[in-house]
Amino acid sequence: MEGNISILFAVLWPMIGALACFIAGRMDKKLRDYLAVFVTGIELVLFIILFTKVWNGGELYFVLHDFCARGLWFRLDGFRVSYALITALMWMMATIFSKEYLKKERNRNRFYFFLLLTLGATIGVFASDDLFTTFIFFEIMSLSSFVWVIQEEKKEAIKAAETYLAIAIIGGLAMLMGLFLLYSQTGTLAFGELYHALQMAENKAVIYIAGACMLVGFGAKAGMFPLHVWLPKSHPVAPAPASALLSGILLKTGVFGILVMTCNIFAYDYNWAMVILICGTLTMAIGAILAVFQVNLKSIIACSSMSQIGFILVGVGMQGLLGEHNQLAVRGTYLHMVNHSVIKLVLFMGAGVIVMNLHKLDLNKIRGFGRKKPALLFAFLMGAIGISGIPLFNGYVSKTLLHESIVEYGEVASELGISSFITGIEWIFLISGGFTFAYMLKIFIALFIEKNDDQAAMDAYNKKYMNKQSTFALISIAVCIPVMGMAPGIVMDKMADFAQGFMHGHELHHAVHYFSLENLKGAAISLSIGAIVYVVLVRMVLMKKRADGVKEYVYVWPTWMDLENSSYRPVIGVALPFVGAVVCRIADKTADGCAALLANTVLRPARNRRPLQYCSRFTYIVGDMLDGIVAFLNRTVCKKKPLKFSFVNFFTVSTTEVRRTSTLITRSVSFGLLLFCIGLLMTLVYLLIVA
Amino acid sequence: MNLYVLLIPILLPLIGGAVLPLFHFTERKHRQFYIGTVVLLNTIITFLLLCMRPEGSIVILNMAGRLEVALHVDGLGTVFAAIVAGLWPFATLYAFEYMKHEGKETKFFSFYTMTYGITMGIAFAANLMTLYMFYEMLTLITLPLVMHAMDKKSVRAGRKYVFYSIGGAAFAFIGFIFILIFGNMDFVYGGSLNMDLIGKREELLRLMYVFAVLGFGVKAAIFPFHGWLPSASVAPTPVTALLHAVAVVKAGAFAIIRITYYSFGTDFLYGTWAQQVILIFAMVTIVYGSSRAVKEQHIKKRLAYSTISNLSYIIFGAALMTPAGLIGSLTHMVFHAVMKITLFFCVGAIMYKTHREYVSEITGFGKKMPVIMACFTISSLAVIGIPPLAGFISKWNLASAAAENGTVLSIIGIGCLLLSALLTAIYLMTIVVRAYFPSRDFNMEKIADVEDPNWLMKLPILVLSIAVIGFGIYAVPLMNFFAKIAAGLI
Repeated sequence: MEGNISILFAVLWPMIGALACFIAGRMDKKLRDYLAVFVTGIELVLFIILFTKVWNGGELYFVLHDFCARGLWFRLDGFRVSYALITALMWMMATIFSKEYLKKERNRNRFYFFLLLTLGATIGVFASDDLFTTFIFFEIMSLSSFVWVIQEEKKEAIKAAETYLAIAIIGGLAMLMGLFLLYSQTGTLAFGELYHALQMAENKAVIYIAGACMLVGFGAKAGMFPLHVWLPKSHPVAPAPASALLSGILLKTGVFGILVMTCNIFAYDYNWAMVILICGTLTMAIGAILAVFQVNLKSIIACSSMSQIGFILVGVGMQGLLGEHNQLAVRGTYLHMVNHSVIKLVLFMGAGVIVMNLHKLDLNKIRGFGRKKPALLFAFLMGAIGISGIPLFNGYVSKTLLHESIVEYGEVASELGISSFITGIEWIFLISGGFTFAYMLKIFIALFIEKNDDQAAMDAYNKKYMNKQSTFALISIAVCIPVMGMAPGIVMDKMADFAQGFMHGHELHHAVHYFSLENLKGAAISLSIGAIVYVVLVRMVLMKKRADGVKEYVYVWPTWMDLENSSYRPVIGVALPFVGAVVCRIADKTADGCAALLANTVLRPARNRRPLQYCSRFTYIVGDMLDGIVAFLNRTVCKKKPLKFSFVNFFTVSTTEVRRTSTLITRSVSFGLLLFCIGLLMTLVYLLIVA
Repeated sequence: MNLYVLLIPILLPLIGGAVLPLFHFTERKHRQFYIGTVVLLNTIITFLLLCMRPEGSIVILNMAGRLEVALHVDGLGTVFAAIVAGLWPFATLYAFEYMKHEGKETKFFSFYTMTYGITMGIAFAANLMTLYMFYEMLTLITLPLVMHAMDKKSVRAGRKYVFYSIGGAAFAFIGFIFILIFGNMDFVYGGSLNMDLIGKREELLRLMYVFAVLGFGVKAAIFPFHGWLPSASVAPTPVTALLHAVAVVKAGAFAIIRITYYSFGTDFLYGTWAQQVILIFAMVTIVYGSSRAVKEQHIKKRLAYSTISNLSYIIFGAALMTPAGLIGSLTHMVFHAVMKITLFFCVGAIMYKTHREYVSEITGFGKKMPVIMACFTISSLAVIGIPPLAGFISKWNLASAAAENGTVLSIIGIGCLLLSALLTAIYLMTIVVRAYFPSRDFNMEKIADVEDPNWLMKLPILVLSIAVIGFGIYAVPLMNFFAKIAAGLI
């Protein structure tokens, strides 16, 4: 045990707190709610202290040798401490919000327990300095967050949770396989020692395979295409605070893992970076398209998360492609992670407010709920504007950086002859940005501008819709969005400077002019695409007139396009078990089948044999003889007490018995085995004598 | 120290169990006290012996020529003896409560205690002759336990068990003869074959090795000789838990490790076709066992299939024939024993309290049997290999040993391990999820009578679950001990 023990405390404290809350909840519900907030509050304070320590120079580390036979290795540098701080902050807000949101739910004790347990594990992931440590906490986190998804125990929730668990476990196992392969090649799993592991390895193919396995593991958690299937299903069914954290923080643990690989093992490797870039682009585009088509509020935000993860992964890919000159990509990636965490927390909590009042998520049913609700309007507006990348808000800054990094690579790309490819990526990037604007507009107009056609529902909207604590949680986070975005040079650049060491980013030579014409142009293109998409696609294609003339949002996404139901479930749930069952059954029957085959061919009992009346001639003769003796005795010696015993009968009965048993035995597999062994023994004796 | 003390842990339970029917205990309490004392005393003596670990071996009996019955305590024997001695008191405590409704307790406990002695004999055997003798005795002495209920099903299971085991032992006997002729019966780390005698008959000897492993493999339930194990789950739960997850089946694995590392020797086998054959057998069994478990709906049988798969993890590790492989194998031997016995105890508790045996019947039990289901969940997670629980460490050790080996077959082996882990997750998590998350419309009235059993049952389960966590978090001394064994130091 060495280093700063407060890191270990930060990991264990929420876990202890989880237990305390569980016990407290059995006695007093109110006490439990406050205790949970208290636990997350202490965690936040702790990380503020740690943050200032790291800010003032010096990394913190902690090693617990011998744990789990391999030891736990923690380190807090700029990136990790800032993300841990964000995690703690988000968690506290979500916990405060849970109090009101869960008021009428069942099994709240369980929820709080797993909420805090996951906090500890997530902190563990973000503080880890060794892939083994990452893996341990990653698994704990995956399993305990499973309870969030299944919390409501409704039919859809159970199905979504199944998918979540399956993906988490398959991802975890793939990651483990990757770790084994990596470890066998490098002999270490510490981040620092893995730097440039690929270049130094003798067997590069194995490292690539290892990387692919780990990418499946981390990518599944990050919601990367094609492993995103759990994401749009799990978010809508989980309680709002949970989905806020799932999307705001837990997705980022996957990104964290991918970053660790890209910046250390595969530092500046072209092939790897290309894979990440392509996956990222697909995730970005597909997420955005899916989001536009959704009608369920939470599904839109969930698909949006997927799309934003795609943006981040594009940044990660660019980091690898740009090599030593990747400052812009490094900063863009990090800032977009932070921005997305903040924005998604706001949006999901906003959605939570709606759910807790109306218990509905369908855009048609919740239409106009936001009218005359300034606090909700403010929070939603900030979130929507932030994520759409409108200048003066935080999303704009990070998207600009990412965009610039793509443009920067354009020059190198033209030398390599892939400039059209990179231009394509750039356009997909801009169009996805446009889609982001379109789906946010869709939500915003539905909630805050349109009126609900059902007057009774409209009237029901006008009541108190959230308490002070929830308002505090919602507003305080929403305020961050413009604050960060309006003074990017002060807040965001500082943060990026602080965090870039983790990704081996170099100092920026000249400050980025966020509001230069060039950069504003990108945003303008994106936003105008978004406006067109909204008017053409959303208003015309995705809205249909009902019989009574009211326009309604419709869900037109074809069901066969659902990757999970059309391919994963049939393959994993039907095809594989079927093949497995056939193989197993055949395997099972080999032993018995051989016996049956033998019984019906070589060892077949002779048919058509006339059953002897007294079983066998031999026993009949012997029995008859003995009976004769008995008769003789009866006549001579035992005249007074004649023996009444028929040996013929006795023999008959016992021979039948013996026969029956022996056929049973001879027909059994085991007997075959025995005979086989005897045969082997004889061979053996023969061999020994001859040899 | 006089080495005859090694006889005590073998003879004490043997005699203690054998004389039990003579006492005619009228009260259950008295019998329990007697059995408890014998078992506990024996465990204490065993652990004292293991701590002192006297050097050298002692010949108890010379049958003819080189056929000697001899005992010693070495590293490997220590591991097996420690598992058995550590778990027996718990199982006994559990059996006290469980056997109340099975009847014929005197007969049961008599054989149960005698088995303890025989198993210790296997652990302390100093040569192949002794090992083989106790191994055969183990088959016979556990037969009445399998057939305890004496109904049609259990008699059939017992018959199957005995035929399979004797058939297997005959196979093993072949290896025994060859070692007798071409080597030394005593166990020496690294092998005891005499290369001069073998001459050009190396391939023949490797064939004999495969026969011997498959022979001992019958008890370790290698596919296709696994058939007896699921049938034998008709036996009372303390028997399935202790014998069919720990003592008997691990005796098979133990014997395989013995002949691989201490008789034939890894130098002779490493990299040959014989090794590959055993690896393939192990891998097939790993996947087969866990896929069958997924399909099985009877919980106890499901666990039996799980045992089949997990035993082959041990054999897989042993068949890697490297020190790292042996470490992985031993780790899994110890940890699997603890995890699986806990799972069986939990299932037994459910059957004892509620008479429900099928997966579909335990919906919603999480709330009604909090202690049992919590322990079940912990052990399930451990068996799947979720860090930081015990099972994770053993799987990590096994897979990294395989990765270190680097051959194609061992890489496929890692794949098998992970595939099996996935299947394990499916067949255990379905139970856990069902118990904790009944769907909303589930009628809790149906299971209103369900509750936790009394402390006699809960205590062993709780202690073992804590051990599952503890082993995972702090396993370094154990690993160091195994490393010493694998280096041939003890």
